Amino acid sequence: MAGAAHPEAMAPLKKGATRTAPPQTPASWWGAPRVRTYLLFGATGIVYLLAGGVVWHLAWALGKGPDAWATALRGLSNPLYILFHLVTLVSLIFVGVRAFGTMMPKMQPRGGPLPVLAPGVVKAVIFGAWAAITCLLATILAGGIF
Amino acid sequence: MRVEITRFDPDKDEVPKTQEYEIPVQADWKVLDAINYIKDEVDSSISHRWSCRMAVCGSCGMMVNGEPKLTCKTPLSAYSDSIKIEPLANFPIVRDLVVDIDGFMDKFRRVKPWIVRAKERAEDMEALNEKGTYSQSPAELVVFKQFSMCINCLLCYSACPVVANEPEFMGPAAIALGHRYNLDSRDQGDRERNRIFRGAGTVFSCSFANECSEVCPKNVDPAAAVNQAKLGAVIDWAKGLVLPRGGA
Amino acid sequence: MKQLLLRFEPVIWLLFGAGLSIGTMLLTGFVLIVGLAIPLGVVPADALSYERAHMLASNVIGRLVLLGLIALPLWKGAHHLRSLSIDFNGEARDGAVGGLLYLVAIIGSVGGILAVVRL
Repeated sequence: MAGAAHPEAMAPLKKGATRTAPPQTPASWWGAPRVRTYLLFGATGIVYLLAGGVVWHLAWALGKGPDAWATALRGLSNPLYILFHLVTLVSLIFVGVRAFGTMMPKMQPRGGPLPVLAPGVVKAVIFGAWAAITCLLATILAGGIF
Repeated sequence: MRVEITRFDPDKDEVPKTQEYEIPVQADWKVLDAINYIKDEVDSSISHRWSCRMAVCGSCGMMVNGEPKLTCKTPLSAYSDSIKIEPLANFPIVRDLVVDIDGFMDKFRRVKPWIVRAKERAEDMEALNEKGTYSQSPAELVVFKQFSMCINCLLCYSACPVVANEPEFMGPAAIALGHRYNLDSRDQGDRERNRIFRGAGTVFSCSFANECSEVCPKNVDPAAAVNQAKLGAVIDWAKGLVLPRGGA
Repeated sequence: MKQLLLRFEPVIWLLFGAGLSIGTMLLTGFVLIVGLAIPLGVVPADALSYERAHMLASNVIGRLVLLGLIALPLWKGAHHLRSLSIDFNGEARDGAVGGLLYLVAIIGSVGGILAVVRL
């Protein structure tokens, strides 16, 4: 347990009479499989930041006019963009599965006016909404409706 | 079996070190039995905390092979021929396997882990006594019961990456127990506690690693409590924007 | 800076939560079609010709969805990267790192509003 935690982690407000050794944390805390999943989940933040930027770039081009829009849309065929969007899609699914599958079902407010539903029911509702929104948006964007 | 144990004598040692013991073990032993064997038969100078041996008192939490465990509940047979036993991570070390938990007690006290009531008016008391003072239905109990099962073993603090890095963070058990009182139908202190939840050491520091719930030996699911507490604190904050203080 | 962040923690958390849930739900279909299907030729590019894209984006719902697609992922990203920075011993630099990340999210959100308004 060579890795150090913050030297003041869980320090009492009033130090006791005995000298204590500083708190430790396992040096390879980040290597445990569950923790790795959690860190990867946080790391998708980079992908989300970039993805928001790409959508902004497209929206800005759309506001500029037909030529800018055509150039921007054509630009997306660049292999780097395609690779990025593949990574984005994988990240979205990973984030969705963890957040909607394990995190959100636990977060239902209790003791309030709303009934507390079984986690399975909440999961089904959220995943259903995700699938429905994805299908709707994909159909609209692909020219299926409207 | 080879057992590695962290040794730290505050009078002699600069930093904690490791000592190895080779001991005979029995098939049905828990990790705690191995430590007690060493203490009784091999080296009486070892310090460790334990009491009930049945996962109720919450005093024998230690790091076993780098993971926080209640040693009285963890079978030795889960490990091969060597194990490493260390004091709980993220706490100052007092001696050997004993950690200083006063930091937790300070945080625990902050969330007001007791039933807070507005001052009762004399004219209401009769009606209150009529239906049984502060009576609670089984359905009202179920709402928070899970979060009241915490035995303060503090494994969750050892598992939490935020506790390791943010000394002010109130941490899983303290927030879960504060939330437990917010959910209690007899309690009226939720506004106060929600303000504390939004203050220094805020519940929002939690990044939902969910490690607290993974290591909890009593299935309290502190991660659920902390994240329900975030939602509660946000709703209370939004109410405060719309309604004057003291309203609703 | 840390005090300032603490004051706005409920707002930040709401925006982050919206990014995590609504952002993920919206981006999936968008990336699937605009990021992959059209560039790979699975869906003809005519589906998003300038006229049609403008028609879809310029009504009220279209503008709101587009703004959601731009701003919400930024808040999810900024908040998660801040947590990650703290996990790697970054409590001391949290004020600077958190402040910078949320500044990026704020600038991006304002940029998003501008982009959506001028459609």
